[in-house]
Amino acid sequence: MATDLTKTPNLEPHIEIPHEETEFGISYGKIMMWYFLISDTFTFAAFLVAYAMQRFRQADTWPSSNEVFQSVPGITDSGAPLIFVSIMTFILILSSVTMVRAVQEGFMKNRKGVIMWLIPTILGGMAFLYCQYLEWTHLMHQGMSMSFNPFSGMEGVEGPVNFGQFFFTITGFHGMHVFVGVCINIWLLIGVINGTYERRGSYEMVEKVGLFWHFVDLVWVYVFLAYYLL
Amino acid sequence: MAHMTQEEYKKNVREVYRTTAILSAVTIIEVVGALMYEKYALPAGYPRIILSIFVSVASLIKAYWIMAVFMHVNHEKRGFAFTILFPFSFLILAVVAFSMDGSNFGELLRNINSLH
Repeated sequence: MATDLTKTPNLEPHIEIPHEETEFGISYGKIMMWYFLISDTFTFAAFLVAYAMQRFRQADTWPSSNEVFQSVPGITDSGAPLIFVSIMTFILILSSVTMVRAVQEGFMKNRKGVIMWLIPTILGGMAFLYCQYLEWTHLMHQGMSMSFNPFSGMEGVEGPVNFGQFFFTITGFHGMHVFVGVCINIWLLIGVINGTYERRGSYEMVEKVGLFWHFVDLVWVYVFLAYYLL
Repeated sequence: MAHMTQEEYKKNVREVYRTTAILSAVTIIEVVGALMYEKYALPAGYPRIILSIFVSVASLIKAYWIMAVFMHVNHEKRGFAFTILFPFSFLILAVVAFSMDGSNFGELLRNINSLH
């Protein structure tokens, strides 16, 4: 379906959705989005706590992150620890910023503004996923998998197998969230272009999707901390 | 929040860009700190716990700014903000308890292995 952006769609309000205010002064939809995010936080927390426990158990053989993650795909294979993952962090933070700008344009009911800021958000999410693809393929070429860990521990001892298991599970689960976020953002963009929210009289859907997108950014802060910095 | 004046809008946009600057600065300091630590402080014999505390505090600062400004917790009613933030306090307990448990368990295993 090709939508002509230059032609303004029918923006006459024709569906009236009653905006139910709760005691908290926000709609039920937003409250439930928040409570969903809290439950999702606990799923991630379960992963990260399990990771912390295993890591403390094998503290003497756990590989140093500066030795494992020291490549920038396409530029260098070694000697640049933390650089590539910092770039990924920046991409995610910037796409979070463009998302919050889209939400603000939504408050002002500025349809063109929302479209203008949603597009870089989607591109940022895709760029992050592509970076993660590059990093995963690089590590797999080095032999890291769910059942094998090619990296040795701090004192040259053989590293534990669950290093790779936790890495692929945690960053994979986060990557899945980014992928879902990109899909929801594309769906939102189509809705905004078609004028759905203009007719509805409220851009609250942009806010709800924005909450999810910021949550993905927030989780990355902790994945970055747990796997790359500590 | 649904009806925003032009003034409030401009104020909020400025706030977002200020937050972006803070988040970028904290990330850069965090990464540079970690690299510097690995290069200079670790060979000099400073314990790793210093770096751990430093990056944990930096991450907490980032989480605070993302939640307060990007996710609008600052603008919500206090009661609602409390229902969101209260469950997170359990996570601190979980992280501390399970890390100590894992550490003790590893110690126990090493002791058993050294007996053989």
